[in-house]
Amino acid sequence: MAHYFLHAVGRDRPGIVARVARALADLGCNLEDSRMTLLRGEFAVMLVLDAPEGTDAGAIEGQLAAVAEELDLAVAVRALDLEGEQSSERTGLPPAGSLSTALSVSVHGADRPGIVAGIAEQLSGVGANVVDLATHVLGREEPVYVMVLDVVLPEAERDLLEERLARAAESLGVRCVVSAGDAELF
Amino acid sequence: MAVRRVLGLGELDRGRPASPVGRIGEAELALARDLLDTMRASPACVGLAAPQIGVGVRAFALDVRGHKKAVSCHGELVLFDPQVLESDGSELAREGCMSVPDLTGDVRRAARIVVSGLGPDGRLVRMQTDAFEARAVQHELDHLDGLVFLDRLAGPGALHARKVYR
Repeated sequence: MAHYFLHAVGRDRPGIVARVARALADLGCNLEDSRMTLLRGEFAVMLVLDAPEGTDAGAIEGQLAAVAEELDLAVAVRALDLEGEQSSERTGLPPAGSLSTALSVSVHGADRPGIVAGIAEQLSGVGANVVDLATHVLGREEPVYVMVLDVVLPEAERDLLEERLARAAESLGVRCVVSAGDAELF
Repeated sequence: MAVRRVLGLGELDRGRPASPVGRIGEAELALARDLLDTMRASPACVGLAAPQIGVGVRAFALDVRGHKKAVSCHGELVLFDPQVLESDGSELAREGCMSVPDLTGDVRRAARIVVSGLGPDGRLVRMQTDAFEARAVQHELDHLDGLVFLDRLAGPGALHARKVYR
């Protein structure tokens, strides 16, 4: 079995998940991790799948061609090397063990271009990695931007990051709150 | 007595930190009436903090009567200079906010709290509460510190859009 990453996006309508999942199942593919969500009327699919030996990205896209045509979806498939999932050589990130601190970062304020870039640059500047992110624009007349991120970083960089985020937020005219990412084991 | 406009998130973000009142005078009584009037004007509203109506003072109104998730319930109340004396337990539940009408979020808060403050009659109040009322108190306290539920989310996956865009 070999792993592939599939992304698909198209105007939302009933049946996208059912048709895509059925086409993949008919090819013998097993769906693993995914995120599928509705954004502003478009349904976006990101998923990792395990395909039978001998299947390649082209074959998977081919299997989905009819569904993609009918539902007007843009579909792309690329090969994944999960053996190297945690390898720092592959990802260019610091060794996984050193990204030991998890933080939640929330940002909100008057909408303007540059908020995501300005905040994200501070994160990458200290070697932090964004693992999950969601944003929304609220309101029409004086739109407000909301961004929430899950971040991992080396513990030693936390204070510097908070300082840099505070300055970036001020120059962007937004509020930025950093808190410990909480995870409890039960 | 007035129903005041509830500020949106952008306006809250530009506000100053809320200051303690120290004592209850005419201005504080008028604020209490406005908080109650404004809260009552929206059927879905169970709490309202002074900064949400543009008043930079440490006060909020609360009323969880009739809410299906309320266990302890102290009825309709206004508290000035509130402080949490004790907190215990942890619960994750979904919250919304009058100042952020398009979003809800899953927030972890203390399950049981003891909070003190001044009532509109000037007397010291000590209130022990839990479940939904405790959550509402903590949500309003956050407003007094310039925080909104978005700053307390259990990650980006905990953020939910109310509206469906077309």
